[in-house]
Amino acid sequence: MRAIDYALREGWASLWRSRGSSAFAILAIALAMIVMGTLLLVTWNVERLLAQWASAAEFSVYLRDDASSEQRGAIETAIDSSGVVEQREYVSKADAIGRFRREFAELASLTESFEDNPFPASLEIRIRPDAEQDGRAGALVQQVAGLPGVADVRYDREWIGRLAAGLSAIRGAGLLLAVVMALAAALTVASVVRLGMNARRQEIDIMQLVGSPIAFIRGPFIAEGVLQGGLGALTATAFLWLGLRLVSAWWGTELSALFDGGSIEFLPARLAAALVTGGMAVGGLGGFAASRHAI
Amino acid sequence: MIETQHLSKLYSRGLYALRDLTINVAKGEFVFLTGPSGAGKSTLLRLLLLQERPSEGEIFVNGHNLATLSRSDIQEYRRGIGFIFQDFKLIPTRTVLENVSFVPEVLGVPAAQQKRRAFQVLKWVGLQHRMNALPQDLSGGEQQRVAIARALASEPVLLLADEPTGNLDPDLSLEIMNLLREVNAGGTTVLVATHDRELIRLVGRRTITLDGGHMVEVA
Repeated sequence: MRAIDYALREGWASLWRSRGSSAFAILAIALAMIVMGTLLLVTWNVERLLAQWASAAEFSVYLRDDASSEQRGAIETAIDSSGVVEQREYVSKADAIGRFRREFAELASLTESFEDNPFPASLEIRIRPDAEQDGRAGALVQQVAGLPGVADVRYDREWIGRLAAGLSAIRGAGLLLAVVMALAAALTVASVVRLGMNARRQEIDIMQLVGSPIAFIRGPFIAEGVLQGGLGALTATAFLWLGLRLVSAWWGTELSALFDGGSIEFLPARLAAALVTGGMAVGGLGGFAASRHAI
Repeated sequence: MIETQHLSKLYSRGLYALRDLTINVAKGEFVFLTGPSGAGKSTLLRLLLLQERPSEGEIFVNGHNLATLSRSDIQEYRRGIGFIFQDFKLIPTRTVLENVSFVPEVLGVPAAQQKRRAFQVLKWVGLQHRMNALPQDLSGGEQQRVAIARALASEPVLLLADEPTGNLDPDLSLEIMNLLREVNAGGTTVLVATHDRELIRLVGRRTITLDGGHMVEVA
């Protein structure tokens, strides 16, 4: 504990003494953390949106007009036993034309000219959100499409999967960029900490000669890096929060429509804490690299 | 306390700073190490402080074979050794008290004991009234007394001094030597490297004379 207390005190004192050059290191970490934070902010909100869309996932099974009641029963059994269905509703041909007339009132007169009801009976199925994500919904769709009595299955959710895949690619590329920037920031921290180390060379020499534990010698440099990293990450978090407020102020209406009346949200506390911890880790890495030159 | 066996230190240019040196210093002894510039006095002290490694031979200090010590063992070994240099090596940005309490502080001694111990040794060297001064505000003799206080702050069993009076006039030199004699009287082994023959004569202790890296005389 005394080593940690000493490291933090000396680390902070060194950071304050060289506050001009420390500001560069803090800025470098802030930039890396802004990239990382933006990535987190975007992916977290898009994932939230995807989950929202996925929770509303439905598919329709259109039945052939000549489908027997046994065939319909077999289809319903296959659906019910799949374990992925939250709700199932049978829509008869009469219900279907009635719904068309209600929803498209201006076209309702057209249906009176039909000799037969062209609308097929269908089964409308709401699926569980987890089944959408783990692919079980897709498997059920394929299974049902092949059953006798099924005319067609409409399941237009592939685009959610494609969006999720695209999001993964963006996340991967962003992560790579953030890692490169974090390494550059760690190098900047290491350089700044080493400058301070040169100014304290005599103290370090004396510490070595009196037999100071290695943790006491290296600790202040690691602590200085951690402090720079923490300050950089806090700066980045503040910038992200302000940026989000500006985005909400400028494009709030459009975003609200996209989120079905909701809004884009700031990172939850655990992710914001992870961002700050990440910044401290990057700074600590730079400080550790520098401290290896102390002894 | 100190034993060297066939100790040699060869530098890269092919010059021997020490050659086949075998000496013994008993526990509680006060010994002078003398000889002209380049005789190998400072090299021996650096080897004893493990700032350098010998090229050949072995060194035993207080039962430790220095060749076998790991990095963390070296730090532990050094905690039992005090050192004094000709140029004092005080930290200019710290006060006298801070320079002395720095040693117990970086050895992990609790805060309350750090100041108490520093004050005790400053009082012992007669500088308690200057404890808030910066090193630049002290005379050479006072600065060396602070360096002695710092060396004693860790309660060492061995005190190494490299030309401790090299920057001081004869009166102050004798004053510093008297302090070192008092340290020795308390049981600490003291090894002083100096080329000041007059001072050695005045203090009158065993003297090992080196020349060209060889031991040429023990008196």
